Amino acid sequence: MTTVITKMITRICLPLVILFSISLLLAGHNNPGGGFIGGVMFVAVIALSYVVYGLETIKSSFNPNWGKWFGFGLFLAAFTAFAAIPFGHNFFRSAVEFLHIPLIGEVELVSAALFDTGVYFVVIGSLLSIFEMVGEDK
Amino acid sequence: MDPFRLVTLAVFLPFLLAATVPAVEKLIKHRIGWFASLVAFISFLLIINVVPLVIQGESFKASVEWLPSMGIEYSIYVDGLSILFGIIITVIGIIIMSYSNGYMSRKEDLPRYYQWLLLFMGSMLGLVFSANTIMMFIFWELTSITSFMLIGYWRNRPESVYGATKSLLVTASGGLFMLAGFIVLRSITGTFDITTILQNDTLIKTVHSHEFFLAALVLIFIGAASKSAQGPFYIWLPNAMEAPTPVSAFLHSATMVKAGIYLVARVHPIFSGTEAWFILVSGTGIITMLVAGFLAFRQTDIKALLAYSTISQLAYIMTMYGYTTYHQPGIGVAAATFHLLNHATFKACLFLVAGIVAHEAATRDITKLGGLRHEMPVTFIIASIGALSMAGVPPFNGFLSKEMFYESSIEMGHALGSPFTFIIPALAVAGGVFTFAYSIKFITAIFFGKRPEKGIPSHIHDPSVIMILPAAFLAGLIILFGLVPSIVVQNLVEPTASSIMMETQHLHVKMWHGFTSSLMMTLVTFMLGILIYTKYESIAEWQNSFNRKYPFISVNYVYDGLVNNARNTLKRFASFMQPGPVKAYVLALLVLTIILFAIPFLKLSTDLAPTLNFNLEPYEVLVLFFMIVAAVGAAVLPKYLQAVISLSALGYLVGLLFIYLSAPDLALTQVLVETLTTIIFVLAIVKIPQTFKEHISPSQFMKDALISVAIASVVFILLLSATQGIVSPFESLSYYFIENALPLAGGHNIVNVIIVDFRGYDTLGEIAVMCLAALGVYNLIHSRGESQ
Repeated sequence: MTTVITKMITRICLPLVILFSISLLLAGHNNPGGGFIGGVMFVAVIALSYVVYGLETIKSSFNPNWGKWFGFGLFLAAFTAFAAIPFGHNFFRSAVEFLHIPLIGEVELVSAALFDTGVYFVVIGSLLSIFEMVGEDK
Repeated sequence: MDPFRLVTLAVFLPFLLAATVPAVEKLIKHRIGWFASLVAFISFLLIINVVPLVIQGESFKASVEWLPSMGIEYSIYVDGLSILFGIIITVIGIIIMSYSNGYMSRKEDLPRYYQWLLLFMGSMLGLVFSANTIMMFIFWELTSITSFMLIGYWRNRPESVYGATKSLLVTASGGLFMLAGFIVLRSITGTFDITTILQNDTLIKTVHSHEFFLAALVLIFIGAASKSAQGPFYIWLPNAMEAPTPVSAFLHSATMVKAGIYLVARVHPIFSGTEAWFILVSGTGIITMLVAGFLAFRQTDIKALLAYSTISQLAYIMTMYGYTTYHQPGIGVAAATFHLLNHATFKACLFLVAGIVAHEAATRDITKLGGLRHEMPVTFIIASIGALSMAGVPPFNGFLSKEMFYESSIEMGHALGSPFTFIIPALAVAGGVFTFAYSIKFITAIFFGKRPEKGIPSHIHDPSVIMILPAAFLAGLIILFGLVPSIVVQNLVEPTASSIMMETQHLHVKMWHGFTSSLMMTLVTFMLGILIYTKYESIAEWQNSFNRKYPFISVNYVYDGLVNNARNTLKRFASFMQPGPVKAYVLALLVLTIILFAIPFLKLSTDLAPTLNFNLEPYEVLVLFFMIVAAVGAAVLPKYLQAVISLSALGYLVGLLFIYLSAPDLALTQVLVETLTTIIFVLAIVKIPQTFKEHISPSQFMKDALISVAIASVVFILLLSATQGIVSPFESLSYYFIENALPLAGGHNIVNVIIVDFRGYDTLGEIAVMCLAALGVYNLIHSRGESQ
């Protein structure tokens, strides 16, 4: 599986796919995409690099603690859910705000996007830590 | 800011900032403890802002909906009682977290320690400010969980693990009883909201006359007793002393163990005034007070001695809350509240002293300590103030509330009439005598007598200012409350007692109030206490020999037996339920599914013939054909790898079908998930034999085929009925989502809006499950490594 061609393609794909996964996350509210799909996309490309280059090689240069990622994601999601309470709103109430930024134009700020980011991190963190553990297990 | 926002912030900030502790620790290293104290201080400032409202005798309630259909809300109730607890929690919190800076070694895992302390503080604040019983229950169990983590802080020590497990089993299961009690209460009153009941006299009368009155009372009281270590549930508290000493001072003397007292005080207006209330609350209180006070003699660990004294002191408070039944209004409630506050000061102070002694002398064993008064003069003075206050010696605050305890006992005895006129005050004095004896023992064992030659370091001195100041501050409070009680009595105790009694209370506390009968009782207590103290060693020796002779007369014996039995039974149950091959589990699941779905379908399909309506485009037919080929391939191909590839081909084809059906989100997800599962499959199968070696007999094959066909038919019929209308059609929800996605949630992608907004709660649950799955895999892989 680890021919020069696959290695080369993986190397080119990796940053592109990660960027694409982030764009999927950000586009999610109005176009196809969202935290879950973006997250799985991210996982897929990291998994690809694990398979092509081997777990050890990748981990020697890039070795985040995926457990922290899903912890952070869950915290972020729960935080957005609870954040409405101090403002006297119901649990999970979402807020929408339209900002007008010069040159960029209309930007939509949605609290749900923050929640979606939480989902994104949980998907990446939990799937990749499972992946890593199964891969390392002898 | 309005009280709702102030209190909500005070509750939420510890949770929020606990999450940032590891990051902050990277910046300020071991000074992280000061950050935690700062958080406690901010919460304190927020709560202090609400105090003027309460001193004016007002209460405040506000809520936001949570699960409105079930009457569950996030609601805040501010009254004297919750403010008193809020102040105790935050003030002791500030003191403890500052003290920990000196106590905890820099080599320890400090972020974990402070994180759990902050989480505990948040949960405890949430508990005392809850107006909704379900919310109260959630915070209640959170305090049990955080206490579990803190007791087991040194997780490699078996005693810590034992103590932590015991406390969790006792207090968390007690919490379940309490939940059952709340549900019974709801079935009587129709609400989970406690303030609605408190403010409605007719509702309280309904509760009193209801046939489930006793059930609700007993269930809720079991919760309270388990948390406050009363009655047979006391056993967890001595073992909880395995926690780091600041934790014991905070959780297991000043705050968490008082949660049960809080609960009793909170439901006081609902249940009090009945015979059952008096028998249950005061009865349990008096028995616990005597037994725990007596058992304290045996203890050689100074923290265990303090634990038993905590149990006994909490029992005083419990007893006084029970007194109101026969003597309205009485000073019982006010006295109990005052004693609660005093106990928080002197017991936390004594625990801090115990921590100092253990820190400097490297032992907590009474038999190895002694004669340290010259080496640790400051600690000696502080310890004496704390212990004498506990013993009820003037001019400290313990004397005042102990006097009031005697006074209320006399009142209670009179109200009950002969023979209780004498019995109840006598029992109260007996409790006081034990307290006096072990309080004196605490001082003499550590600071007087001969200094042992061996076993303790040769140079012992007072600790650093960081550790001495918090204890000295508490000692200062003890003297202040003793000399000028009106500060706290007017501002905290009276509003609290008023909110517990539901009517304005006034209390006159003075150091000298003439030769009253309660003063006589105090004098008797001192004399008998000194007498008992001289016999201290022989009583302890008698208890030890009794325990050796009859080891089974002990609650711990019963607890250990129950836990071991449960462990063995569950082991048998597990090996019965999980006999081995995965195939068996899959078989069980499939057969159950077939049965569950087949029964309703057999009933339905008799008169409803489906009007089959397949409008398939040619390319869809093509995709479906390849799907069938791939499915057959997955079933018949001889090697694992081939079968897996065939299966994933099937998955990709399903994704293709989704594209034809114009569901891009779904198709994208399907393709990605399929990719991942394939990779995980491949990772797993490289570690096992590459071909199916197992020989399948013809009869087995027939059985497998039958089940496969059956499950396939069930799924087929299920899909048919969903899409072709065998089951009578119901109104689809999708129109609601299509119409409201943009106006309500501001999103054009309906699928995404459903996930993150309309059904956000579901999603939160799902991602929590994903995290749990990852943790589960971690446990599976690592625990297997350990057993080998």
